[in-house]
Amino acid sequence: MSENVIKIKHRNASMLRGVLIRLLRNKAAIIGLVIILVLIFSAIFAEVVSPYAYDEQNLRDRFLAPSTAHIFGTDSYGRDIFSRIVFGSRTSLMVGAIAVTISSIIGTFLGAISGYYGNRVDNIIMRFIDVMLAIPNILLAISIAATLGPGIVNVMIAVGISSVPGYARLVRASVMSIREQEFIEAARSIGASDFRIIMRHILPNCFAPIIVQATMSVAIAILSAAALSFLGLGVQPPTPEWGSMLSDGRSYIRDYWWVVTFPGLAIMATVFAFNLFGDGLRDALDPRLKQ
Amino acid sequence: MKTLLEVQNLKKHFKTPKGMLHAVDGVSFKINERQTLGVVGESGCGKSTLGRTIVHLTPRTSGKIIFDGQDISKVDGGALKKLRPQMQMIFQDPYASLNPRMSVFQTISEPLIINQRVDNKQELIKKVTRLMETVGLSHKLANAYPHELDGGRRQRIGVARALALNPRFIVCDEPVSALDVSIQAQILNLMQDLQEELGLTYLFITHDLSVVKHISDHILVMYMGKMVEYTSAKNVFKNRYHPYTKALLAAVPIPKVGGKKERVILKGEITSPVNPKPGCRFASRCAYATDICLIEEPKFEVVQADHFVACHHVKTINAL
Amino acid sequence: MREKLLEIKNLSVIYSTEGKIVEAVNHISLDLYKGEAIGLIGETGAGKTTTALSVLNLIPNPPGKIISGEILFEGENILEMDHKNLRKMRGNKISMIFQDPMTALNPVMTVGDQIAEVVRLHDKASRKDAFIKAQQMLETVGIPGNRMHDYPHQFSGGMKQRVVIAISLACNPALLIADEPTTALDVTIQEQVLELMETLQKDFNTSLLLITHDLGVVAEVCKRVAIMYAGEIVEQGTLEQVYNHTAHPYTVGLFNSIPNFHEDVRRLKPIVGQMPDPAALPKGCHFAARCPDVMDKCLEKSPPIINLNDEHTVKCYKYVGQEGAE
Repeated sequence: MSENVIKIKHRNASMLRGVLIRLLRNKAAIIGLVIILVLIFSAIFAEVVSPYAYDEQNLRDRFLAPSTAHIFGTDSYGRDIFSRIVFGSRTSLMVGAIAVTISSIIGTFLGAISGYYGNRVDNIIMRFIDVMLAIPNILLAISIAATLGPGIVNVMIAVGISSVPGYARLVRASVMSIREQEFIEAARSIGASDFRIIMRHILPNCFAPIIVQATMSVAIAILSAAALSFLGLGVQPPTPEWGSMLSDGRSYIRDYWWVVTFPGLAIMATVFAFNLFGDGLRDALDPRLKQ
Repeated sequence: MKTLLEVQNLKKHFKTPKGMLHAVDGVSFKINERQTLGVVGESGCGKSTLGRTIVHLTPRTSGKIIFDGQDISKVDGGALKKLRPQMQMIFQDPYASLNPRMSVFQTISEPLIINQRVDNKQELIKKVTRLMETVGLSHKLANAYPHELDGGRRQRIGVARALALNPRFIVCDEPVSALDVSIQAQILNLMQDLQEELGLTYLFITHDLSVVKHISDHILVMYMGKMVEYTSAKNVFKNRYHPYTKALLAAVPIPKVGGKKERVILKGEITSPVNPKPGCRFASRCAYATDICLIEEPKFEVVQADHFVACHHVKTINAL
Repeated sequence: MREKLLEIKNLSVIYSTEGKIVEAVNHISLDLYKGEAIGLIGETGAGKTTTALSVLNLIPNPPGKIISGEILFEGENILEMDHKNLRKMRGNKISMIFQDPMTALNPVMTVGDQIAEVVRLHDKASRKDAFIKAQQMLETVGIPGNRMHDYPHQFSGGMKQRVVIAISLACNPALLIADEPTTALDVTIQEQVLELMETLQKDFNTSLLLITHDLGVVAEVCKRVAIMYAGEIVEQGTLEQVYNHTAHPYTVGLFNSIPNFHEDVRRLKPIVGQMPDPAALPKGCHFAARCPDVMDKCLEKSPPIINLNDEHTVKCYKYVGQEGAE
């Protein structure tokens, strides 16, 4: 009689589909997504996409205006700016991804502990977070980068750490509200340990805001990395990075505007794309809750 | 009949910024095996807190809890883990008591997994299937998520989860209050059937007096953390002695034409259980209160066979 | 002589979300007379709140849409009124009490201000006069007038609901719509509030459309009853007719589902199954799948409304040929 016909389907297939459908209906989000995909593509296939090597100097062709040979022109060393931007996308996206990963993991951990246990633990962690928040994001990143020294890895760490407070607060608030729900009590009543409750019951229900925050903060991370490189604290030459390209081109704005403009546009487009996509993602994830 | 659960002078107080909240303030009773004790009262009477304290979801402040002859008042850690499977809880809100990200199968299998009741996946599937059948959930719903189901089905999942560990005692915290009337009846019937088949003992918490009479053997009426009346279910509807019980029962709207000839309106508001004043907690709203009621707390004592009341004037009010 | 105050004629409301059409209300007709209290009974999803919102033309559009019918209030069709006249009417001629007293009041305004607000909006009273009126209304609902300057969080649930009632009656409306006004309240407080509503209704001669799932509450307060199921009114009549000569199988099922403490019933007789999905209503009678008296024709076509006597109507094939039988 009981034919054991239960086939266990693993994840929330139907919910995910709903989110995707809603996301794809949002034109702005699609634009953002397309731009991001183009970036990712050019980052991965930089060698193929770019007509020149990023460090190919040609002192005879310095400061060439945009033309068919060099669509974005050349810089002070005669290097093709378009190629450098393409290779620079690799750097920016890597920094963005890794910095966000660092900050979301640390931030979620701190926020979850703080929100779940409350009392003294919460107090200590939150005061620490408050101190971090009191310092402007960029300054914090600069101080950490300056302490650690230049280099792309340190940029990732610096940017990552400076973004921890945002996640910690977000996750803490989420955890505190979910903690009061009956299904958490129910989990306790069947013998679940604190660890299991946090990992299996609370955090999975916090994902939506964390994901949205992550998407938005990739943009911030890229900006921060650019700022650090602009100040000379980040990526070292000749590695191309949009921020350092801005820095290099600073003095030539008047006469050779393209040296600064195109890297600037690249940064703008990337940040814009991530923000659009993040907004669309938030909207797509929200209605599910309103059911 | 054997006593399965005994509670002695149980108290649970919460510290709040405004003072000490006496949620449960000295409750004592016994429940025999396979019986149901209905705990009735309005907001602030402490019935929910009572339930949660007994199953150790919140630590007691003082008093004893004795389960199957063993004093379990202070258990924690490993001993608590061993105790939990025997005392389960069914929650009130079918919407909030299920993890929205877990399927029906996952929710029901979790207690079995945590407590290592199965050795392999096959066994798990078999047990969950059987539990779903027991509570009347179709196999097809195994992969469904709570938001796809109505209140009645969700509550059945809650019942299945509570049954998974083969408990002997279940605290039912307003299990049908959030359900539509026609679904309530289905779930109540289910719970009664399960009690008979599985020999369960229930502590049934509710504010709905018609439901409580239907399912309980005995009824305990609470007011602001205190017990005011205790007797058999049949009896409380014939002979209610405490003024609050009288008002409570008189307040229930009767679904009949001309059902209520006159209303018994209880004056005043439900007072706060924070820093309660001395004397009888019900005095400020009681039509029969006198000076002694404001000074001295009435004792909860036997008035007739199997009938306890806490009221200074119980004998005069009821011409006993 | 009974004067008609509200006439709902053939009202249908749908909600369209994400490609699905939810038929919330299907061709219902209901009349309410001046000074009378009528109970609209139904379970979750029956369409009662949608009906109530339609009377005030408050259905959010999108996703909701009133696709047919008229709602005549004092002769005028509410569904065709322009915004200005609608706003003049809401809170003034027709007031509504929503279900949850905890969230119905603005937490950052004093209760006095909230009552005064509605007075000033409609009666164009001065601040001083509005406050005097507010104080009077508080006293009328049994709250000391000096609590005018208190904030909602300083009141209990029952008192909040009384404040809500005070706000709704401040402009002496002809019609009060109350959507589950006592469901969230304790039973002894419910008694107080029902007593208050009954008294006020009589004193102010306000008509009351009481929406609830509680058959007992309706018996206490209302003279006429309409039973809603899956967007339709399946039975309608005086209290006596519907309660003592129950006709529709759903209504019978409802009465059998309630544990009644005057009878010692061993097992309840619940209605099997559950209400159909309003986005996928079955052909024919909406109750057919759960009906113990179902016949073949019930599955084919929606039953007609039969007039059992001039007040008592039922939408069911069982009674075809029994017009005027009562």
